[in-house]
Order: sequence, then C-alpha cells, then structure tokens
Amino acid sequence: MNKVFIGIDVGSVSTDVVALDVEGNILSAQYLRTNGQPIEAARQGLRNLKNELNGNIEVLGVGTTGSGRQLTGIMVGADVIKNEITAHATATISLVPGTRTIFEIGGQDSKIIFLKDGMVTDFAMNTVCAAGTGSFLEHQAERLGIPIEEFGDLALTAKKNVRIAGRCTVFAESDMIAKQQYGFSKAEIINGLCEALVRNYINNLGRGKKLEPPYVFQGGVAANKGIVAAFERELNHKVIVPDNHNVMGAIGAAILAREQVERSGKPTSFRGFECTDLQFTPTTFICEGCDNSCEVIKVEMDKKVVAMWGDRCGKWTNSLL
Amino acid sequence: MKVSFPYMGTTVIYKKLLELLGHEVIEPPEPTQRTIDLGVKYSPEFACFPLKVVLGSYIEALEIGAETLVTSGGHGPCRAGFYGETHKKILENMGYDVDIIVFDGYKRDIMGTIKKVLRVKNGKPWRTVWKAIKTVYAMAKALDGIEKRIGQMRAYEIHRGDCTKAWQKIKKSFDDVKTIEDVERIEKESHILLDEIALRDVPDSDRLRIGIVGEIYVVMEQSINLRIEETLGSLGAEVERSQYISEWIDFNLKPGASAKEHELYILKKGEKYIQEIIGGHAKQTVGHIVDYAERGFDGVVHLMPFACLPELVSQSIIPTISKDYNIPVITLPIDEQTGAANVLTRLEAFMDLIRNNKKTKTA
Repeated sequence: MNKVFIGIDVGSVSTDVVALDVEGNILSAQYLRTNGQPIEAARQGLRNLKNELNGNIEVLGVGTTGSGRQLTGIMVGADVIKNEITAHATATISLVPGTRTIFEIGGQDSKIIFLKDGMVTDFAMNTVCAAGTGSFLEHQAERLGIPIEEFGDLALTAKKNVRIAGRCTVFAESDMIAKQQYGFSKAEIINGLCEALVRNYINNLGRGKKLEPPYVFQGGVAANKGIVAAFERELNHKVIVPDNHNVMGAIGAAILAREQVERSGKPTSFRGFECTDLQFTPTTFICEGCDNSCEVIKVEMDKKVVAMWGDRCGKWTNSLL
Repeated sequence: MKVSFPYMGTTVIYKKLLELLGHEVIEPPEPTQRTIDLGVKYSPEFACFPLKVVLGSYIEALEIGAETLVTSGGHGPCRAGFYGETHKKILENMGYDVDIIVFDGYKRDIMGTIKKVLRVKNGKPWRTVWKAIKTVYAMAKALDGIEKRIGQMRAYEIHRGDCTKAWQKIKKSFDDVKTIEDVERIEKESHILLDEIALRDVPDSDRLRIGIVGEIYVVMEQSINLRIEETLGSLGAEVERSQYISEWIDFNLKPGASAKEHELYILKKGEKYIQEIIGGHAKQTVGHIVDYAERGFDGVVHLMPFACLPELVSQSIIPTISKDYNIPVITLPIDEQTGAANVLTRLEAFMDLIRNNKKTKTA
C-alpha cells in the first residue's frame, strides 16, 4: 500500500493531478484538458490516477490550487486550498533548489515569482491583457494551421527575424497577418511571435525588478521550445525547464497538503475516491438584494448546500458558517 | 433646497453636518454595480475611476430628488481639481438642472469661499453653525476611532461577519446624533458593542499588520475597492488605512498648526522619495509606506485608480522603498474592469509572502 499526498491544479486550460509518496517522489502525474468543465476534469484525473496506481494507495492529504481550487477543494475535501502563486513557488523550491526567478505561463495568466533563500520575496501577475498566454498561442497556431505541439520546433527553424507587435492580442494578430502578406514564412512569423511574447512578458511583469538567475520556466507554455529559446536570447542566460514543468502547480499543492497535515496532526479530510461518484452540482443565481446584482455560486452535494460564494456583502457566504 | 453629496466612506458624517444646518438631505445610496455602470456610461473613457463612480452616485442622488450637490475640491496638480466642473457639465448635458457647490482650498479664493459658506450656512446663526461643526468633527473622530479598532479586530473574529455587522449598526446609531453629548454616549455604546464580539486569541508573534495606502477615494470607499479591509481581515490580517476622514479634515480644513502635525509628519517621511507635492496623494502614499515600515507593519497594499498619474509615480518608486525598508508592497490598480478572482489570488499569495517573511524575521 503506497501512502500518498495528492495535489490537484484546476486551471483554465488543463487540470493536473499528481500523487507524491512520503519522500516527495512523483508516483503518478495526470495532465488533462479542462474543456470548461473543471469538476469533470478533476474527477477524471482522480480516476485515472487511481487506476494507474492500481487502487493500491492510502491518501494522507489532498491540496487544490488553480482557478478552480475552491470548487474542487470542496468536492474532494481538500486539506489545503492554495493560490497558484504559492503552489508553483513551493514546487520549484523543492524540485529546483536555489532558483531565484520563476517564469510561469499558463493558459490564461502568466506570473513571475522572485525567490531568495527558498522564500518568495516578490511576485507579479498579468492583470491587463492575456496577450502572450497559452490560449493566445494556441489560437494563433490554429489560425496558421500548425499543431500546437509542433509550434516550438517550427519556430527554431526560422532564418530571419521579424518583429511582431505583442502588446495586445488583437494588434498582434493583425500585425501577423500583415507580415504574412509581406512574404515572411510561417516559421519566421511564429518565431517573431515567441519573441514578442517574451518581450511583452518581461516588460509587463518584470518591470523595474532585477531578474536574477537561475531561471526556471514552467507551466504549459514551457513545453514550447521556441519560447524557451526566445527567453534565453532575451536574458542571455540558460533557462531551466523542469521535467514536470506542466504539473508544477499540482506538485506544489501536494507538498502544501503534506505540510498542512503534518502541522495540524489531524487526519486528512479527503472524502475518498468515492467523491468522484457524488452528485455535485454548482449553480449560479443573481442575488436581488441590492443593485450590485452579484452572481452567487451555490454548490450542492447530494442535494445539500455545501458552499456559496460570489456575493460582495457576504450575506450568502456567511449564511453557511 | 434638497442637498446631497458624493458617497465616500462613512457618509453619515456629511449627512449629519448638512442636517444640523437645517438642510433637507438626500442621502446617496451606497455605490453598487449600477452606480458604476451609470458613471462609466456618461464619463469620458479616460477619466479617473473615482470621477466615474462619483458621477454615478450623483445621478442616483438626483434620481431620488437631490437638487444641490456639495463637495470638496482637489488641490495640487491632479485631475481631482476638475471633478466639480466636469460633473456639472456632464450632468447638464444629461438634462439635469443641478447646482454643485465645490469647496476648494479657502486660501485661493477667500471671497468665493465665503459666498459658498453663506449658501450652505442656510441662514442659520453662526452659533448654530459652530455647534454643528463641532458636533460633526467629534463624530468623525469617534467613528474613525471605532473603524480603526474594527480593522484590528476583524482578523480574529470567530463568527465571520460579526465585525462588519456591528459596524453597520454603529453607523446607523450615529444617525441619531443631535448634540456633542450624543456623540460621546453613542461612542461609548459602540465600544461596548464591540467588546461583546468573540475573538480568537492569537499570540503577538503570529499577528500580521497591513497598511493600506493610495488615492483617497479608492482607499476609503469599500464598495469599489473589493471591500479590501474585509477581504484582508478574512485572510487574517489587521488593517489600517492611510486615510481617515477626520485626518483629512485636520489637514485641509481645521485652522491652526497643531491640527496639521500628523499629515506634515507623513509628508516629511516621504520627502526622500518625492520632494514636491505632485498632486493626488502620491507624496502621502510614499510617506505612509515609510511610516508603516518604521512602525513594524508586515506589509502594505497600495491602491490606485487605473491610470491615476500621481499614483503611477508612487508605484514606480515603491520597489525602491520596499527594498530600503524591507517591507513587501503590492499595488492593485482599480477600475470598472477589475476582476475579483485575479485580485484575490494575488492577495492570498501576498499574505503567504508576508507570513513567511515574518517567520524568518523573528526566527
């Protein structure tokens, strides 16, 4: 019987589930598409994980992170529900000790995290625009008719440099179309896009901050060799991409779950793998208490309300406490 | 004449002043999404966010019968000085017949100020005016004291929402004030009410204190800043704001040098980073960050209306101050586009950061 800690990272594009043993080794890592159904994705991820480990496991703790952390946390009975910045940093500190700067580019957001002596000292997150995140790249790959998996390799074959405006997704797209008409090859345009993305990322998130090596690049976009190369050219320094770069958030959540369980000394609140079969329905309604018209999210499990949030005044959230 | 005023922070104070002067007061409703939508719809796109919300709030006050709006102006090189005129123009274009009385710094236009005072004075004897001012000032002081206490308590409340509920109740009870004696009595009762709230016992070493600095409107008006004080409280931090209305009165309106001491002290603290008053509250912002760092706060949340020029200046200086004083600072730009999920994620991460920071500092 393997004793494990489970981490679940429910993001906009992918949902990742990992199991770590007590020494912190990764026993299983599941990477699934969220497809707009975070609960279903998390369920499927848990089932796959259980199957891969032949059901021969005892879960000691569960942590959730990512934009769907709240919902999933309630479903599985998480011991810890953490923001993705802390989760990513925790994983990197443990897997790549000594890291000073983390670049994380996910489906719909990007972050930069600064570390010193194994501690987060500062961070920034994109706030204004989604230009340069995974979804944007995917959209452009689709438009050019290139599978996203080949995107990076193709960028590396570019012979000439072409500058693409990367400030805004719409302008980047029209600029790319213009450059296509001028006769640049697909590879060159893609390479230009990678450079625009990196330039934009560093200008936006790294503004006024000193970026110290070692650099670690993680998140789904780190699989893209074109972007990695663009980062290395921009920084004039090697950028490390960890083996499990696409599930770092989930690894962090599992580590945080272990810390939480060890600190509290209480047994895990994990509902068991049976939770994947529970009736679990989130619904949304507009509260008509005032002109704020908040969208309140109500989560029911087997017809019992287990969580509510989204109200600004706390009327519904606090009603369950 | 039915009088109203811009909605900002503890509005019962402005309401009371106008009431004691015998005006029929139309209280603007607390800003909601509708207020913001209205303000955004009728304001120029690149106007600052507070201008938009205040416009929305004026429209809502006019809808329920207000005829005259009384407001303070801005001073220094910042667009806030333009609000009164801009609002008047927009409202007139919308077809409202409205009178806006703007109180700017009195030194610039003494005659104009006297004329405005006489209008707001409403024919009451000066003795009544003086009494009204004294009562309202005492009320502002009392309410700010209570709010500061709540900012510290909220982090430890056992039943979430208790402090906020008490605060709503207290603001309502201050609505009954007629004399300065009432203020004293209600203040006492309010503190007793707060004494009854059940709190967790947290050792000093685990307490986190966060200062909130920035442009006055987004710092003081909770309905548009994602209820930052409640949010930080629920994440377990004690909070203190850089601005309280009584302090604003002390510095801008109260005659005499002693009243200005606190603000001058703060401005002095910021002198190293910003020498001149560059408008808005930029100089105060940097001064307050230094002050919070020296007072041992664990972190600072800096709020700015998106594209606010003075706060953009302070934002660019903040990394240096943060390094010089070893205090983490997070800047949150606020406008109608602000998404709560993103901000909450960042605030949670910020709390983790300062908690770890504190652990290493004390270890």
